[in-house]
Amino acid sequence: MSDASRASDKGRVFADDERVLADEGRVLDAVRRALGRSETARPDPLEPFDETNAEGEAETSREELIARFTFEAGAVGSHVHRADSVGELTDTVARVCADADVKEVALSGAELFAELNLSARLAAHGLSSFAASDFGPGGREGLIARLEGCGAGVTAADYAIAETGTVALGSDEEGALLVSLLPAIHFAVLRPSQIAWSLGAVIERLKAERMARAEPCRSATFITGPSRTSDVELVLSIGVHGPKELHLIILGE
Amino acid sequence: MNHAEQDLAGRSHAALEDAVLQTALKSATDTFISRRREAVAGVPEWQALRARARRVKEHTINNLDYYLEQLAEKVREHGGHVYWATTGEDVGHYCIELARARGVTSVVKSKSMATEEIELNHALEAAGVRPIETDLGEYIIQLAREKPSHIIVPAIHKTREQIAELFAEKLKCGLAREVAEITAVARERLRGEFLSAGMGITGANFAVAETGTIVLVENEGNIRLSTQVPRIHVAVVGIEKVVPRFEDLSVFLRLLPRSGTGQKQTAYVSFLNGPRRRTRGVEADVASRSSEQGQASESEFEFHLVLMDNGRTRILADERMRESLYCIRCGACLNVCPVYQKIGGQAYGWIYPGPIGAVVSPLLQGLKQAGELPFASSLCGACRDACPVDINLPDLLLALRAKVKEAGADVGVARNFAERTAMRGYAAAVKRPKLFAAAGRLVRGLARLVSKDGKVRSAGVPALGEWTKYRDLPAPRGGSFRERWKKKR
Repeated sequence: MSDASRASDKGRVFADDERVLADEGRVLDAVRRALGRSETARPDPLEPFDETNAEGEAETSREELIARFTFEAGAVGSHVHRADSVGELTDTVARVCADADVKEVALSGAELFAELNLSARLAAHGLSSFAASDFGPGGREGLIARLEGCGAGVTAADYAIAETGTVALGSDEEGALLVSLLPAIHFAVLRPSQIAWSLGAVIERLKAERMARAEPCRSATFITGPSRTSDVELVLSIGVHGPKELHLIILGE
Repeated sequence: MNHAEQDLAGRSHAALEDAVLQTALKSATDTFISRRREAVAGVPEWQALRARARRVKEHTINNLDYYLEQLAEKVREHGGHVYWATTGEDVGHYCIELARARGVTSVVKSKSMATEEIELNHALEAAGVRPIETDLGEYIIQLAREKPSHIIVPAIHKTREQIAELFAEKLKCGLAREVAEITAVARERLRGEFLSAGMGITGANFAVAETGTIVLVENEGNIRLSTQVPRIHVAVVGIEKVVPRFEDLSVFLRLLPRSGTGQKQTAYVSFLNGPRRRTRGVEADVASRSSEQGQASESEFEFHLVLMDNGRTRILADERMRESLYCIRCGACLNVCPVYQKIGGQAYGWIYPGPIGAVVSPLLQGLKQAGELPFASSLCGACRDACPVDINLPDLLLALRAKVKEAGADVGVARNFAERTAMRGYAAAVKRPKLFAAAGRLVRGLARLVSKDGKVRSAGVPALGEWTKYRDLPAPRGGSFRERWKKKR
């Protein structure tokens, strides 16, 4: 098939092209030959592994989890705030935005934000906001430009890990992914109940709740601190590509 | 790919004489070693994690066909495309055809050893597709048109002053004084590239067979931007990167950052399951486009997984060497290696440096081309201790040396008559205990005869020139080990 005829059939060319399938056969045959067999056999599953976490999480109290999460997140340059009410939450966002001279914030489409009526509350602080879940008339490019122009994005975390001060966002929503990435300041709101002790526990929940279902979540991101690099002389430099500031707001029940 | 006209010894000499490089290497390897040690000390079950990681890799590699088929099936189920590449050229052709078909002229790339290995950038450039490296270290290397010197920190051999001058020259910006200024320039320039590129090309740290998830570990955020801003994402992944189950990730994600940079967790870990879904706004966008232009597909997100062999099945076929495919590319073995610490990554001459590079480069490139690398090791074993998947690197290096000799490559060869005779004599004597003892007495006597002030210097024995050029051989004192052992008992 010539390049020209391939190019004309834009949707399917790279899906089930004959040559693509032949290449698949060739690589798989080479793998089987290297392993000394002619047909793929289903292996016995790997024996289970009890990933004993020496510090243990069973007997860790909620407050201990929060304390460790706060400590570890702080150690990698995140700012952790406690908010006992939605009023305190909006105060925190407004204060940080005022300090950074930010006038407009993007909100992910999290249900929590609608429940809290966050947009109106921020407006009362003089902060305008927009929902990044709806691309609006400018389409995707329009949203990206808007996210580039605003100073901060607010998302709701799905999980958090105390051991490393990590928050996890699992989302299909195109907007939510970009809200936590393009603006210079990222706020992630989380509930104390979302904090697990270890990575292993969150991996298990992420799999069961989002990855292994019939229509799996298309992406998830673990975020541990602001964007960083040590590529020049191993000197730590914050905010190279992603957000320069990460604010984690623990919203109490 | 071999970027040196000199041989390994020549490149090593050049590296040893480069004062800037020596300072950078010392500081980088010392820092990484101490950070890693601290991070590992915080995990009392470290050895159990290592053993488990090794077990998972062993199981996966021994059933690679099954897990690859499962992975491909899952990715297709999610709406992604899967392409199987036998060679690096195949990968290049695929990316170029895809770029042409979609009208893509610039590609944002995030650091990927797999694409470095196959020099994908050259192929893209030759085809008129502009690749932009977006990891800060790789960006610096690309601007300087060099090769990375470390798996984790590619531009570790450059000082901030050199980088500031490079930026000023290539990017026509002011001369930066602080590291933060350099970072700011890169952020601003590259953000523009992310927003205009039609395609993002990444590697992958892991690919989960049962869920079809591609996992990417990073600190800068350039991988997130490469995979989430352009409409098309291509992940070029060596076939050995697959792991069976999603749960397996927790062991590897605890081992990798601690081993690589000494971090408990990197700033970002992305889990990607096929192409992104369109949201309401985008669907409206697509509908309007298709009515106007009849080209709905242009607005859709695409995910392409390129599974690359490029010599890996050759390694797989060799049962002795197979475990080199367990490597998760953390770079820990580089930092602890006394040879790497002195010569750095570029002297190795191939994209994978250090102990793991000395194993996989000859296997991927050919014993004739890179066969001298396994000899560049003291076999001290520090690499194995540091390896998070417990690859027996000293053993692989030894076995490879034998292979190189069997293949008749022109390395590790005695340089003169005296050396050849000594080696033949040693080979004959070592198999006969009595002869060995007698020969030992003879050699010790001779060595004492030519020694001066307790040292055997090259001036004394010209044939030993290369052996004693940089160090003195202490003159033997007392009897042999066996003689002393007998007395002790």
